[in-house]
Amino acid sequence: MRLTVNGRVHTLDSALPLSLLELLRDRLALTGTKFVCGRGECGACTVQLDGETVYSCLTLAEACDGATVLTVEGLAPGGGEPSLSPLQRAFIAKDAAQCGFCTPGQLMAAHTLLARNPHPTDDEIRSGMSGNLCRCGTYPKILAAVRAVADGEFAGSAGSAEAGSAEAGSVNAA
Amino acid sequence: MPRKTKGAAKPGGFVQTTVEIEGRTETRIVEIPAFEPAAWGTDAELGIVGARVPRMDAPERVSGRARYTTDIVRPGMLHAAIVRSTIPRGTIRSLDASRARAMPGVLDVLGPGDAPAGTRLFGREIFYAGQPIAAVCAATGHAARSAAHAIAVEYDTLPFAVTFEDATAKDAPKVRAKGNVMENAPLVISRGDMDAGLKAADVIVRREYRTPVQLHTALEPHGAVAEWEGDRLTVWESTQGIFRVRENVSKALGISLSKVRVIKDYMGGGFGAKNGAGPHTYVAALFAKRQGRAVRCINDREAEQTDSGNRPSSTQRVTIGAKKDGTLTAIFASIDVPLGISGWEGGPGQIYHELYACPNVRTEETFAYVNASGMAAFRGPGYVEGAFGLESAMNALAKELKLDPVAFRVKNFAKREPRTDRPYSGNSLLQCYKEGAEVFGWSTNDQRPMTNDRLRVGKGMAAQVWPTGGGPPAYALVRMNSDATVDVLAGTQDLGTGARTVLSQIAAESLGAKLSDVRAIIGDTQSLPYTGNSWGSMTTASVGPAVRMAAEDARRQLFEAAGAMFDAAPDALEARDSRIVVRDTDRTMTFAEVTAKLGNVMIIGKGSRGPNPADTAIMTFGAQFAEVEVDLDTGIVRVLRIVAAHDAGRIINPTLAESQLEGGIIQGLGYALFEERVLDRRLGLVMNPTIHDYKIPTMADIPLIDAFFVAGADPVANHTGARGIAEPPMIPAAPAIAAAVSDAIGADVTEIPLTPWRVLAAIAAKARR
Repeated sequence: MRLTVNGRVHTLDSALPLSLLELLRDRLALTGTKFVCGRGECGACTVQLDGETVYSCLTLAEACDGATVLTVEGLAPGGGEPSLSPLQRAFIAKDAAQCGFCTPGQLMAAHTLLARNPHPTDDEIRSGMSGNLCRCGTYPKILAAVRAVADGEFAGSAGSAEAGSAEAGSVNAA
Repeated sequence: MPRKTKGAAKPGGFVQTTVEIEGRTETRIVEIPAFEPAAWGTDAELGIVGARVPRMDAPERVSGRARYTTDIVRPGMLHAAIVRSTIPRGTIRSLDASRARAMPGVLDVLGPGDAPAGTRLFGREIFYAGQPIAAVCAATGHAARSAAHAIAVEYDTLPFAVTFEDATAKDAPKVRAKGNVMENAPLVISRGDMDAGLKAADVIVRREYRTPVQLHTALEPHGAVAEWEGDRLTVWESTQGIFRVRENVSKALGISLSKVRVIKDYMGGGFGAKNGAGPHTYVAALFAKRQGRAVRCINDREAEQTDSGNRPSSTQRVTIGAKKDGTLTAIFASIDVPLGISGWEGGPGQIYHELYACPNVRTEETFAYVNASGMAAFRGPGYVEGAFGLESAMNALAKELKLDPVAFRVKNFAKREPRTDRPYSGNSLLQCYKEGAEVFGWSTNDQRPMTNDRLRVGKGMAAQVWPTGGGPPAYALVRMNSDATVDVLAGTQDLGTGARTVLSQIAAESLGAKLSDVRAIIGDTQSLPYTGNSWGSMTTASVGPAVRMAAEDARRQLFEAAGAMFDAAPDALEARDSRIVVRDTDRTMTFAEVTAKLGNVMIIGKGSRGPNPADTAIMTFGAQFAEVEVDLDTGIVRVLRIVAAHDAGRIINPTLAESQLEGGIIQGLGYALFEERVLDRRLGLVMNPTIHDYKIPTMADIPLIDAFFVAGADPVANHTGARGIAEPPMIPAAPAIAAAVSDAIGADVTEIPLTPWRVLAAIAAKARR
């Protein structure tokens, strides 16, 4: 089977009795996507499959032949800070990740949500993101981050010296 | 302010000091640090400490690069799965692993009698459902889990008790080998004269409050990867305490401390449940030894929900009395707590003694053992449960007295810590009441708005206290590299709280370095100096001062080196933004210019946490206000708004601290409305061991939250002026929400979670009266 993950084409044994999540984590070493419940209850394993939000723990790898997958590792093509996506920068600036374990799934859910509905209301964000659980309670910050991206607050390139920059060097007293 | 300690407080000498951990007081003999930096007082001019700096490890967390224990892969790594008892009490008659052993990929099985006694694993006697009874090691996780299911177990069952009532009944079955009730029950804490206090009261309120078992539900389960090199063991563990895991593993396996290395880089939540090694750790280590390969053992979700600790339930029978003017005269609570098969007396009682200046207070707590998984610390253990009883009773009494709940609390404000009659290092609780009420728009004279016939709005409030002084021992090193970057080295943990960021800010501030040049290296017992567990909201107040001292020590050395280069006295130098200036001149040199001249000569500052001030109560305070909407037809509660005002001394990073407040409030909201482990009394089994059936809040449940800190610093507590904050916001959330529900429906609510049927029952009970 052929699978395109984050822009890279993989040719794999089609008889793999795996979920898409296991394929990503165990075969392709893309461990950004997390396993939490394994039964579609928490959203930690959320990825984008052919433009749709899916729970990768409930998606059979075999059924993904020819598909295109985007994971958290693909949001910032360079992997490094300069290329972080607006959503990733917004999550940093709004402090939308505490332990960070649910964060990859939250980012992928938000990414697809904004792709389909670039200008959601707060209630649409709440409803669109309510399939992704967070135990640390970062929800208000996630809402703020998605809101900010929808409002264009992080539209510039990452290099610009906006509030979302993770460069902590230039600190002003609070 | 002078810092007094008991004994001869000479640098290098040793003194006795006390440290409060999760409400317990421990006495320790600690070394006096070589020097103690002058405390950062309220008016200290600080640039980096106190700034809203983005979380420094956030780029790793948002890019998928952060490596959690569950992501660790070692060459040739094998996988282990634990087999758990399906009955609550009995003995294993037979355990047949032959089918499991024959399955593809299966390499090894551990069963009854196969584990060292120190691990307390795989005994034949069963004390609760979910107890580990065997384990399988296989080439893949799939194979290990499949083989675990293929192990056939026959049991001889015994009678069991999973409720407090059943365990303490006259003819109760033997829950465990020793008694069903904790020794010396009940645990009585008392001050004053209860009879006199009740006699002096004009109004007395009596209520029985019930709280549920709450499950931590960290999204990353407990897990470990173990690997041996000869007789040295390395353990990657998702833990709040690397040094405690090291100690546990060393004791359990009978190997010396120095041969065990524990590493924790990132972890997916702890909340109190990950304070030491567990069965998964020992299973990974034992299989790794037997197989000569690395082994990963991660709890599955059902194990995480049924056997990784919990906040125990409680029944609190409260009697509370006051004079007409609102002066409290008596607080009494008789409390039952079923701990599970093991646990400690971190019960609801303590907060009854600490929050108000009442002369007569008495709690009687009985802790029973039941045939269910043991309790563990869970964010504000005891105080969260106790606050629901105490604060609900306070609100009920305020109503009887026709007093405003805020004014009633202000009236009974404790000027000294009332349980032990000690002065506070600092206490701005009155400010929390005032600012919280202002921001919320609190006034009990409002007409209750009614959206329509079905929807009623109500509001309520509650307060909080929690011991958060932290303390020794904790050590840190601050190392300046030859490229002028700075490493903070401390064997602590970042649970997602922001410890890396906060410690880096403290170091950068003290050293005069750019924050972007500073990196905190944490989470490795082999290469880093000791610090304690990240529990009890202690990390900032324990490790922070050690880091500050280490940074000051590094700065002193840097100034001596630069002084020689400048031909200036070290005390004529100042540093800021990684640049040294000779005071009152234009002579300047960057840190990089100094370190370039030093070459490979290193600057290493050393710091340790000094003793706590003697006979001083160091606590964090807060008040929360809630507004809810209740649907009278369905019983569904929607929280509309929470305002939280807390006092935790100096806030090192307001953004991260506010995230802690919001997180605590949201876990408190879950506790108030949804979260409840359901344990079937006849089967002895957990009925909701999944995240679908055990409800935690989702984004759709979140109200508007305005959580903030009242201004201040606490230079008496320690020289950074900071106290702890992670646990306190969870304490008053549930009673504030419950009070708002009570206000909305016009009836008392005495049991959480406030699921629709409980709310409807409260409404129906009111209608019957």
